[in-house]
Amino acid sequence: MTDLLEVVFSATFLITVIRASTPLLFATLGGLISDLGGALNVALEGMMLIAALTAVVVSVYAPWYVGVVAGMGAGAALGAIMALFHLRYKADVILVGFAVNILAAGGTVFALSLATGGDKGTSINLQSKAIPSIDIPAFEGIPVLNFFTGHSALSWLAALSVAGIWYFLYRTPRGMWLRGVGEYPAAPEAAGIGVNAVRAWSLVASGALAGLGGAQLAMFNYIGFTRDMTAGRGFIALGAVLLGARHPVGAMLAALLFGLFEALSIVMPGIFSWIPGELVQTIPFVVTLLALILFSYRTQRAERTLS
Amino acid sequence: MSSIRPASALTEVTRVLLAVAIALAVAFLIVLATSEEPIKAFRTFLTAPFSSNRTRGLWIDDVAKLTLTGLAFSLVFQARQFALGVQGQVYVGGLAASFIALSPIGVTPLSIPLGMLVAMCAGSVWGFIPGYAKARFGASEIVSSLMLNYIAIRVVNWVIRAHLAPPGSGQLNSPDFPDASVLPAIIQGTRFDLGIVVALVMTGLVWFVLYRTVWGLKLRLVGHNPTFAEGAGIRANVVMISTMTVSGAIGGLLGAVYVQGRAFGRIAIDFDGNLAFEGILIAIVAKSRPLAVPVVALAYGYLRQGAQLMGLRTDVPTEILGVVQALIILLVASSFTLPGRAFIARLMGRKPEVAR
Repeated sequence: MTDLLEVVFSATFLITVIRASTPLLFATLGGLISDLGGALNVALEGMMLIAALTAVVVSVYAPWYVGVVAGMGAGAALGAIMALFHLRYKADVILVGFAVNILAAGGTVFALSLATGGDKGTSINLQSKAIPSIDIPAFEGIPVLNFFTGHSALSWLAALSVAGIWYFLYRTPRGMWLRGVGEYPAAPEAAGIGVNAVRAWSLVASGALAGLGGAQLAMFNYIGFTRDMTAGRGFIALGAVLLGARHPVGAMLAALLFGLFEALSIVMPGIFSWIPGELVQTIPFVVTLLALILFSYRTQRAERTLS
Repeated sequence: MSSIRPASALTEVTRVLLAVAIALAVAFLIVLATSEEPIKAFRTFLTAPFSSNRTRGLWIDDVAKLTLTGLAFSLVFQARQFALGVQGQVYVGGLAASFIALSPIGVTPLSIPLGMLVAMCAGSVWGFIPGYAKARFGASEIVSSLMLNYIAIRVVNWVIRAHLAPPGSGQLNSPDFPDASVLPAIIQGTRFDLGIVVALVMTGLVWFVLYRTVWGLKLRLVGHNPTFAEGAGIRANVVMISTMTVSGAIGGLLGAVYVQGRAFGRIAIDFDGNLAFEGILIAIVAKSRPLAVPVVALAYGYLRQGAQLMGLRTDVPTEILGVVQALIILLVASSFTLPGRAFIARLMGRKPEVAR
């Protein structure tokens, strides 16, 4: 037990937490944007997966940041496809989302096999690049300050995105439109705001954010693509949106919480080798399930006391 | 939605066929662009499942499983619950049936029915949890059912690896079940086994329950017209929980059919090969109508087997099927019409039909 505490309170563990949280945070912010606009995006998982593969393949031929932008673009394009089928062709957004997930599960393996010349498991024989970490040598070895060094460039971007999205949602007119469209579409409609256009953009933004999460996953957390590498993170993010009370700061806290447990499941096998790996892997899912139930219970009670 | 007019049923079928044709055309273009032997690959995709007794057996085996997962999804979709926990239910059900088969009961004729029953109980518990969490606490069933899938897969895989596999062998599967615990073959030497009969009986049962019982009526009302259901005093929460529980039992049964089937006759890690999720496609294309489920499963099972044989025999990976699946779902779930249709209607001097 002391071993575990020692690990948990080390600076490297904190870096692991930030690293594990970053893809989740991007996906959660993506889920938040579309959810506030009134379109539940269950395709975060598939968007991350496709974006991860796109980022890896593009980064073989281009600098790392082009790979990241390509991943973001792939996510945004999927968001646009969802918007097209949901808003123009009136398909249920959940079904469209599942179509994207299914496309991702099969399509990425298909594309991976083409890109690697037959390998259906990993992109190990592709020379893909990594997102650089931002190291600040002056901070190293100094307690507290050393927490701020060694993170992925995208982790900083994710933190900035939280602030940016908060500002957008609560301090700009367009953010108000978005929340209005999700809250009570008839009102913005009467005010002459294109409800469908707002929703379409929210899905595109959602996809772009999930795409950034995918890029971080395949170019920093792991270098390279493995089939099904998102392993449910998109769905955990969906839970984190609810757990974060549909607020960007809440989303960040929820993503950090789930990131913490993912990091625990990464370090635990090294400390408690007697616990089977499969059971350690269930930790993020069990925590998400329990957190979801507890949080829903609390919200329900709060609503009851209000009424 | 439940009783549709013949004319609209016809357009429904045309739309589905059109969707399949478009999806296959796109798949063909992809094969054409990426394969060294596109014609051979596509011919394998479209004809191979019917080529021999063995492949026909594989196809029917898939149809049985696809029917069961399609039914499980149809049931929850009819109640407009997006519970996606069939995969987890398959794992816990399969494990439960394996415990029976590997126990002393396994050598008696009781093993198969008892295994199925226990699997259904295990599956229904797994289906009950998200139902209860939603009804009682308002927790999103999408997230909770998916989390339960991941949990079930990992825990069941662990039990198989650490406890059911012969110790020290490094194998990732249990020993073979005794013969009394394996479904009898209908055609000897193929995988054409009792599973398909179980699937068809289940189809009839689900149809009966949905359209001929009070519970089924309530379920459909809650799904199709929640305001009316509420006004009529139907307790949506009870319907919600019971629907997910019953759907879970079907998922558990699929687990039993999996491990008892001639294709396995034992339990192995990751045994479902993601088939459980393909029930979503079956349910969407069948519009959640139980009697349409086996028909859709028959057609889709053919494509699935074709894709698998194409993956084995040619340079085109099986996973191209994912593209076909996604396109079919997108096209069937949406209100697309052929682009030229409005134009032709105008030429004929009629007003174009308004898309639903």
